[in-house]
Amino acid sequence: MVSEHIIKSYDQELQRLDNTVAEMGGLAESQLAAAIEAVAKRDSELAARVVKGDARVDELEREVESLVVRLLALRQPMARDLRQIIAGLKISSDLERIADYAANVAKRSIALNQTPPVKPANGIPRMGRLGGAMIKDVLDAFVERDAEKALAVWLRDEEMDDLYTSLFRELLTYMIEDPRNITACAHLLFMAKNLERIGDHATNIAETLYFLVHGTPLAQVRPKRDRTSLALAPDADIDDPENEEG
Amino acid sequence: MVSIPAIDRPQPASLATPQPKVQIEDLRFYYRNFEALKGINLTLYDKRVTSFIGPSGCGKSTLLRCLNRIYELYPDQRATGKVLVDGADILDPRQDLNLLRARIGMVFQKPTPFPMSIYDNIAFGIRLYEKLGPSQLDERVEEALRRAALWDEVKDKLRESGLSLSGGQQQRLCIARAVAVKPEILLLDEPASALDPISTQRIEELISELKSDYCIIIVTHNMQQAARSSDYTAFMYLGQMIEYDHTEAIFTHPKERQTEDYITGRFG
Repeated sequence: MVSEHIIKSYDQELQRLDNTVAEMGGLAESQLAAAIEAVAKRDSELAARVVKGDARVDELEREVESLVVRLLALRQPMARDLRQIIAGLKISSDLERIADYAANVAKRSIALNQTPPVKPANGIPRMGRLGGAMIKDVLDAFVERDAEKALAVWLRDEEMDDLYTSLFRELLTYMIEDPRNITACAHLLFMAKNLERIGDHATNIAETLYFLVHGTPLAQVRPKRDRTSLALAPDADIDDPENEEG
Repeated sequence: MVSIPAIDRPQPASLATPQPKVQIEDLRFYYRNFEALKGINLTLYDKRVTSFIGPSGCGKSTLLRCLNRIYELYPDQRATGKVLVDGADILDPRQDLNLLRARIGMVFQKPTPFPMSIYDNIAFGIRLYEKLGPSQLDERVEEALRRAALWDEVKDKLRESGLSLSGGQQQRLCIARAVAVKPEILLLDEPASALDPISTQRIEELISELKSDYCIIIVTHNMQQAARSSDYTAFMYLGQMIEYDHTEAIFTHPKERQTEDYITGRFG
């Protein structure tokens, strides 16, 4: 591990920054887990608690910001220290977005509970578990400064994109089958999009972490598998055998 | 030979290819039997600013002092190896030292104005090397003072003593004096360490203006100053050149652990 600074209070401030980011990460992770549980169990009370809990994440983000400004102004950080501080700032803003999306999923689950259950809702917990695992791993990688682990998270976003694409298609099919499903499926579609975005923010954190450890940006191009922006309604897609039964 | 790796982003054509000005080859320096420089290899570039940084006693000032052989003013000090300026070895004993020091000007940590008028502080050096008429001399003095960003502050009191100026002004007077004899290389040994922050910024601004004409080398303890003012930075430790690179690379992701420890304040 990196040796200590001659000025000990500098180490303490950097440690506090790391701890605050890690605390934010833990909170974002548990917010997401609770939001997914609220969807799976149709628990509106839990969902309401998640919506309310987002304020604490925002508060921690402001704390990170003020720590970063203070460190930049007073310590003139260089090299690894500078990267750590910039990374702290960037990661905290990704975590804030992740928690926002979790709160959004929770909020929609309250509306979803007003409608009869639909089968594609099962896809949400699956995406949510993957998102939660990505956040957990990238936070572990942050604490351990493990760029390889971060890279693994980065690559897993492909899986998230695949889940999203298939859930997207499924939801379209349900809506076409029975217009009464549209309200529920529209909420589920937005939830799925939120979860897919959580995956993107986890990969952002992985990229930031790679830069923090190596001092150079991650040069690879990540395979992008979310193709829903090109998708048509299944019955229009007549050449695609996958959709024929839909 | 430690030279600078190519930088991987586009630069204006005029800046793209720095010309080597000084090639240092296996330079060793001894204070009696103590080896203060242990085989330095380095290329310094024309029209660029290079900073030498490192903890006290690392040899950075010694290296600077080799570049105009000012160490020869002291007994028991000697250098071996080569310091090639435009290809000619200045360590060659046949080198004319007065000419050398006119080509390679030096400014020290503490301002060292001569105890004479502001005008004569500048004119003194010019008179040593050139025979000029009074109006030509006036022009040269004015030019040097303008280059050192001091003219406007002293033009109405050129006959007053150089010692009457503030510390920052005295330091700019010394830079004007060095510039007046039209050197090719400027050596600055902690040029701003005795100055207040405003004067320091004036000196740094001056350095950035002067670099279009000179090869400038600064020794500094102030890392922010090295980061702000120089194109290249060399980190030295215990008489050795540890790392030499673009300043941006040194301060954002140095390659050597020792460099990183030093610039981040982890060095014992």
